[in-house]
Amino acid sequence: MLEIQDLHKSFREGGRTHAVLEGASAAAAAGEVLAITGRSGSGKSTLLNLVSAIDTPDAGAVRVAGAEVSALPEPARTLYRRAQVGFVYQFFNLIPTLNALENVRLMLELNGVGGAAARERSRAMVARVGLAGRESSAVDQLSGGEQQRLAIARALVHAPRLLLADEPTGNLDEATAREIVPLILSLARDAGATLLIVTHDAALAARADRTLELRAGRLEPRAP
Amino acid sequence: MRLLEAATLRHLARHRAQLALALLGLTLGVGTIVAVNLATASAQAAFERSLRTVNGAATHQLSAAGGDLPESLYVALATHPPAAGGTPLRVSPVIEGYAQAGNRVLRLIGSDPFSALSGAAEAAAAAGPGAQAAGDWLTKGGTVLMDAASARALGLKVGQSLELRVAGHTVPAELAGFIGEDAPGAEALLVTDIAQAQEWLGMPGRISRIDARLPEGPGGAALEQALRAQLPASVQLVATRARARETFAMTDAFTTNLHAMSLLALLVGMFLIYGAVSFGVLQRRTTLAVLRALGARRGEILGLILKEAALLGVGGALLGVLAGIAIGHALVGLVARTINDLYFQVAVTEVTVPVATLVVAFAAGLATALLAALVPALEVAGAPPNLALSRAVLEARARRIARALVPLSVGLVLAAALAVLASSRSLLAGFLALFLLLIAVAALTPAFLEAVARLAARALGGGSTVLRLGLADVGRSLSRTGVACAALGMALAAMIGVALMVGSFRASLATWLERTLQADLYVSAPGPLEDAGRLFMPGRVRELTTLPGIAAHSEARRLRVDSPQGEIDLNALRLGPRGGATFTLAQGGAPAWAAFEHGAVLISEPLAWRLKRGMGGTLALVTPQGLTEFPVAGVYREYGNERGEILMALRTYREHWHDDAVSGLGIYLAPGHSAEAVAQELRAQAAPDPLYIRSNAQIRALSLSIFDRTFVITRVLYFLAAGVAALGLVSALLAWELSRARELALLRTLGITPAGTALMVLAQSLFMGLAAFVVAVPAGLVTAWVLTAVINRRAFGWHIDLEVQSAGFATALVLALLAALTAALYPAWRAARAPLTAALRTE
Ligand SMILES: Nc1ncnc2c1ncn2[C@@H]1O[C@H](COP(=O)(O)OP(=O)(O)OP(=O)(O)O)[C@@H](O)[C@H]1O
Ligand SMILES: [Mg+2]
Repeated sequence: MLEIQDLHKSFREGGRTHAVLEGASAAAAAGEVLAITGRSGSGKSTLLNLVSAIDTPDAGAVRVAGAEVSALPEPARTLYRRAQVGFVYQFFNLIPTLNALENVRLMLELNGVGGAAARERSRAMVARVGLAGRESSAVDQLSGGEQQRLAIARALVHAPRLLLADEPTGNLDEATAREIVPLILSLARDAGATLLIVTHDAALAARADRTLELRAGRLEPRAP
Repeated sequence: MRLLEAATLRHLARHRAQLALALLGLTLGVGTIVAVNLATASAQAAFERSLRTVNGAATHQLSAAGGDLPESLYVALATHPPAAGGTPLRVSPVIEGYAQAGNRVLRLIGSDPFSALSGAAEAAAAAGPGAQAAGDWLTKGGTVLMDAASARALGLKVGQSLELRVAGHTVPAELAGFIGEDAPGAEALLVTDIAQAQEWLGMPGRISRIDARLPEGPGGAALEQALRAQLPASVQLVATRARARETFAMTDAFTTNLHAMSLLALLVGMFLIYGAVSFGVLQRRTTLAVLRALGARRGEILGLILKEAALLGVGGALLGVLAGIAIGHALVGLVARTINDLYFQVAVTEVTVPVATLVVAFAAGLATALLAALVPALEVAGAPPNLALSRAVLEARARRIARALVPLSVGLVLAAALAVLASSRSLLAGFLALFLLLIAVAALTPAFLEAVARLAARALGGGSTVLRLGLADVGRSLSRTGVACAALGMALAAMIGVALMVGSFRASLATWLERTLQADLYVSAPGPLEDAGRLFMPGRVRELTTLPGIAAHSEARRLRVDSPQGEIDLNALRLGPRGGATFTLAQGGAPAWAAFEHGAVLISEPLAWRLKRGMGGTLALVTPQGLTEFPVAGVYREYGNERGEILMALRTYREHWHDDAVSGLGIYLAPGHSAEAVAQELRAQAAPDPLYIRSNAQIRALSLSIFDRTFVITRVLYFLAAGVAALGLVSALLAWELSRARELALLRTLGITPAGTALMVLAQSLFMGLAAFVVAVPAGLVTAWVLTAVINRRAFGWHIDLEVQSAGFATALVLALLAALTAALYPAWRAARAPLTAALRTE
């Protein structure tokens, strides 16, 4: 389903270029859960940016369901992201001016689903992450754990093929993290989405199908 | 509303203070344009209305150069009209003068009610009790019609008799009716039968002019040809439209300056709008990037921001139009007063709202808002939605842009210099240079601010940590501080420039007055200047100037003469004891005065500029003999008449015009005689005719007070522009400090006291105000030079010696500090008072 092939990416900083990815390769089947670990600054977020076509690689390719998304021109890349990718971030990144339900419904609206159908689907998704009754709450009135649940609902409401999570528990206390992790895993499995999860959390990594470590610009398998 | 729109638009609703400031900036910018246009258009309309009243149905006027016409010319034209293609020629005689009723000076028009073509006479014939009143003209002598407003002011009713003072005599008259108030322009008007007016004005058999109505089209042209062929050489035929346009051109330079000021306000307003919109976008960088990451297309994001800007633009522009109409009502009075002081009487009775102006100002406001939003919108929509992009990366980019703006700024200055050098007369090029210059100031300011902030932080190395942190922050947050400082710098430069220009102009005027007004007393007959009846005849001049206590005198005959270039003011002089020394010659030295005594003329700088003449050229004037060429021996400085004037020896004038009268005398006192005593004797000698006597000090004071009143409106406008810029600083600082609430809270958790935080915010603001002022000082000097040596030179033709006075700088400095202080108050208060937990929680 997902094929990452020999990705290279470097950044210019002042006069120097700084190579971050130097031939990262991996593959994942539909519904598979892949954990990615690595030291800070090793390029994990950069990798996710390339997979979601937010950024373009210097060399190499990212294929999703056989289509080379890294070669797509704008706006096809945006349309790919809109329809096939869901995001969960460390800092939640909810839209502060929209309420809880609206944050979820926004994804459906972007995908052209509107009216009562959108409302129903978002409501159901919000209920599935355990936030029933909080639909019209303002985002900043939710606790950190609740915000992350909402972010998960937003990431999955449009049934994407790919779910990308960048340190989803990095900003949560341990108890909350223990609730969030199974939620992501079960919801992703139910939806049949391929999950790429960046984490420092050994417990989380242990529950993935496979774990890859990003080291010296390459993805290397790590024994569970 | 779609969620995508809701996500961005709700931001505006949440940041009401910021929204209000952005709207206010837009409102002031658009409002100033509307107000200035409205005020000038209203004065213009009032002027045109009064012209229409005077000219009425007449399309042409026949008049003689510097004098009146024999009535026989009218009789000849009426009985044997020129024939061309069977088109009839309508002519009507008019006699014009002034009459005094009570304390009011009224324009006296004598016309023939049967042939009347003049608006005033027509209006009179159609006046309320007019049918009867018109009949009365024929049967009863001494009947007059008066405009209703004057009659009311004098407490006169129809049928009442009154005394008029006309041409030095008191005559009885009777009010036969009113000229309706609805007759536009019928202000201070007295209408009577032509024969009666001739008698009163002492002009039997003479008339002032003949109104003529020629049909439009080829028939009219043929008729005009035939008419011209029949006229004596000294009589001219002028289209009234052309004459009206000619007169109004006088105020062009004045209105041009006003429009420049209003554009300046818009330019500053534009920066404010840019600041407000780009802050709004910057604040939402993360949200917008998240939206992009979630799959919102570039076009959608761009559309969102532009839609928001359009909304803001429409709202602000609408408010601006409304505010402009309100401010315009207030300005009308000022503009009308200036025009009255400088050019001619207008009574602005109604405010004209030119729809085109409203549309243009509205469009300008909307376009400005869109343009201001386009830059940050393109930037946000164009960049990859990389959430990892930190503030530091953003600010580094802002610094790069600021540095790249420095060469651009230099380029703009060079372009401005080129615009000035490549053109010699174009006022537009002058304005272009001015605007390029101000934009260059704005482009230079952010880089300057960053550099001085860095230097200052380093210089404070051993000093206060709080101050050092604060100053370093100013340089590091250039994306926010740069725009605000640029807008303020630009406005301050404009302020300094205008203040220096006005100050220098005033100084030049004062020097000129000092030099020109050498006589101790100036004597003339009272009444409006144009009144041909108010003249001294040679006998009277001899009587007055041979009184004891008078050592010497000068004589002047002032009148307006016709020329192929239109009417020109002529000042025929017999110089006083100091000869030509009272004039400053810009061209031609002592030989010019020798030539002057032998028939040559001198022309004032504005006239030289307008007619593109100079020493060695010639100037043709219409004299009673027809067109006569006069050599131009020199050009002199003159600030009293922006249209320009001609100086001619009185002897030369008398040779050509056969007119011995004098309009004014300059009296030089013998030693030991007081001005009061001599004035007393002069009055006694002239009795019962009144004399108008003023000392040179009085004239100087009057001239300077007129000058000051003229520039009141300029001052109002530049304070408006400065206010807009100060507002920009307030809104920018507010946005910046509020967005740093977390950072400031962090500093407080680290142990900086609330007072320390407040002090830091205050220091940052004052530093920015000072930086803007420092940039504005040299820029203001250059602006002043462009305003005096380029704009005013090209608009009026006069030379102003640039004089650097500290007052202009002081005002700008005070304003800069005041703006900085005002801007800092609320953010400082918030920084000190905000609860730490809340500040740390919200991102
Ligand atoms: N847009 C960018 N411009 C310049 N350098 C960048 C950019 N994005 C990432 N980098 C650099 O690339 C390197 C990898 O960054 P990345 O964010 O992918 O690391 P990471 O593995 O996600 O780290 P962390 O675990 O701390 O989140 C870092 O050195 C970072 O400074
Ligand atoms: Mg990362």
